[in-house]
Amino acid sequence: MTGRTGRRSRRAEAASLVALVAKRDYVRTVRRRGFVFGTLLLPLSIAGFFFISSFASGELAPGGGGTDFGPRDVALLVVNESDLALAPSVLTPHVRLVERGDGLARLGAGQADELYVVPDGYPTDATVLRFDASDSGFAIDALQRQAAQLRELGLLLQSALLATSDVPPETVARVMAPIGAIDAQTTTGEPVGAGPSLGAFLLPFGFTMLFVLSIFITSGYLLQSVTEEKENRVVEIVLSSVPALPLMAGKIVGLGAAGLTQVIIWALSAVIAVPLLGDRLGDVSSVSLSPITLGLAMLYFALGYLAYGAMFSAVGALAPGSREAQQYAGVFGFAAVVPLIFAGIFLADPQSPLITALALIPFTTPATMLLVLTLTPEVPWLLVVASLVSLSVFTLVATVASARLFRATLLLYGVRPSVSQMISAVFARG
Amino acid sequence: MTVPMIEQPADPDTRSPDSPVVVVDGVWKRLGATDVVQGLSFEIRAGEILGFLGPNGAGKTTTMRMILDIIRPDAGSISVFGRPPGVEHRSRVGYLPEERGLYRDVPVLDTLTYFGALRGLSSAEARSRATRLLTEVGLGDDLRKKAVELSRGMHQKAQVIATVLHEPDLLIVDEPMQGLDPVNAEMLKGLLVAQRDRGAAVVMSTHDMADAQTLCDRILLIDGGRRLLYGSVKDIQSAFSDGAVEVRGSGVSIDAEHYRSVAHAAIADGGVRFLLRDGFPAQELFRELATDGAAVERFEVSAPTLNEIFLRTVAGDERASAVG
Repeated sequence: MTGRTGRRSRRAEAASLVALVAKRDYVRTVRRRGFVFGTLLLPLSIAGFFFISSFASGELAPGGGGTDFGPRDVALLVVNESDLALAPSVLTPHVRLVERGDGLARLGAGQADELYVVPDGYPTDATVLRFDASDSGFAIDALQRQAAQLRELGLLLQSALLATSDVPPETVARVMAPIGAIDAQTTTGEPVGAGPSLGAFLLPFGFTMLFVLSIFITSGYLLQSVTEEKENRVVEIVLSSVPALPLMAGKIVGLGAAGLTQVIIWALSAVIAVPLLGDRLGDVSSVSLSPITLGLAMLYFALGYLAYGAMFSAVGALAPGSREAQQYAGVFGFAAVVPLIFAGIFLADPQSPLITALALIPFTTPATMLLVLTLTPEVPWLLVVASLVSLSVFTLVATVASARLFRATLLLYGVRPSVSQMISAVFARG
Repeated sequence: MTVPMIEQPADPDTRSPDSPVVVVDGVWKRLGATDVVQGLSFEIRAGEILGFLGPNGAGKTTTMRMILDIIRPDAGSISVFGRPPGVEHRSRVGYLPEERGLYRDVPVLDTLTYFGALRGLSSAEARSRATRLLTEVGLGDDLRKKAVELSRGMHQKAQVIATVLHEPDLLIVDEPMQGLDPVNAEMLKGLLVAQRDRGAAVVMSTHDMADAQTLCDRILLIDGGRRLLYGSVKDIQSAFSDGAVEVRGSGVSIDAEHYRSVAHAAIADGGVRFLLRDGFPAQELFRELATDGAAVERFEVSAPTLNEIFLRTVAGDERASAVG
């Protein structure tokens, strides 16, 4: 057998072992109750989060008037039996003044859910009558709608009351009109432009959080797999069949595939859930999730997972036990979520030097760039290329160094290697 | 330390059937600041059990890991089946490490199937063999049990089966009897002999000299990473044949320090068994006993046990080099 044939045979053997380890770790992981639970629970939690947040966004809607009455009938039917001169304006766009009989007829015909009557005792008696339709629908919806109706009715009555005083009309208009705010960039002072809605922020934030979370959950499986084999004293039996590097590669591939499975399920859930939740999410049109963005997101996920996966497998090999391994891994985990702490800056000032710095520091690159890609309408190619180069170089160095540490320290049972031993292992040849 | 020299092994196709299965030639290995293995050379042949002896830290496990390619030597060469150790030998090698276990939360049959697949068997074949062998040792009803649900004895049986599932040509077992109950220890001894009898080469590291004497065809004794003794059990015992004396009578002290010629003393068969210091013939002990006023009823020179040879050699006996 020639040397070349021998090397080819070794490579083929190593490749088949990588596949064997990958398949075994993949199947074992996706069958875990924790994996199934986590995969299903997270989309459900996010859906619940969006659902709850939609109420918050309803109250915080631009204009402060809260005039979204729901799809059934946007008109606010008002019967004026008082002496006040009620005059609908731009501040009260939904108000329709009707006669009591006409209003009750519309209510009975199901054309409206509520009818408001301003009695002749108003404003001496500061109450109005409200007639509800019997099928006013889901109680929370009705409460939300009625709250908005009362705000608009309040504006109508306040305008009418102010009009009876000596206050100049422009002052009345200023008192009644809401305050407008324009977002400006901290660096240039230029307007940011139309501010995205809460939903338009939450969607990319949730998307980024899912990806980063998936990187860590998957890397966590890797950590668990390595420490488990060490603690169960199985690792030396496995190493006598599979060399350290194919073993590490098999684990990274198998558990990476498990993580990808999770991400795909989450992404599919989002594809299904977002249109269903669309009305509640507010304006999501500013969210950029083009195929290029998704492709780049997958690239950042893959590189991020490779870097963190390699480091976590080295941590698993280095740590005397699973508890220590979790503690060591936590340090990396904190570094990775730092961009999420500064999420507000991504909305207020996408050109901030802080974002550029976070994009170029490999530990924070994946989360930063995922936020940038989903919140920025146009792909910032210069930053994308620079961050990909930085992350790729780091991933390569981290993988080689981690592989050497993994090989050198995997068989140390209950012993923590010294720093000099670790440095020697990283720079060792062969 | 010598300069690394990784030799080109012989072509496996041209090896004769009598060729050694493993050749370790002048191997060195440094771990941290210690030369754990220093210029070690030996061979392992098909159809033999080689006892790998030595005190703790002698370099036995490190040497075994180098044969298995888990770690690489710094210098010297190792060939396995005529080629450098590597992944292509995985289907022909079995290994039972000193630190061993099973996946706790995985059915034992699944674990053995995985180990068999890692050794080159198809999953179906590995599962079939594991089922048959586990059933043969009485674990037929426990195939789907997780390792955590098995008794210690069951664990041990399963670990042993995992080692021989693929019928290896080279079997390396590191302290195999450690932690075994007597029943499983006997089962393992029988299994090692059966492997040898079917033509496999077996390397067994052990601290139990009685086991080594009973099971091994040849022994290799190392200390501090260096070879002290190497040869057949019979040859080694012959080389130390005048080293032990059994004495029966009154006034015989069992304190080794009492006699200048004695290295070690122990009660045996109603008398005292003395291990002599190197360079002291049996006559010298007889003279000391007479001078001491002991009434000797029986004075018999006998071959030393492996344990006695171990004690003498590790303590520093120059005769070792003559055997090795």
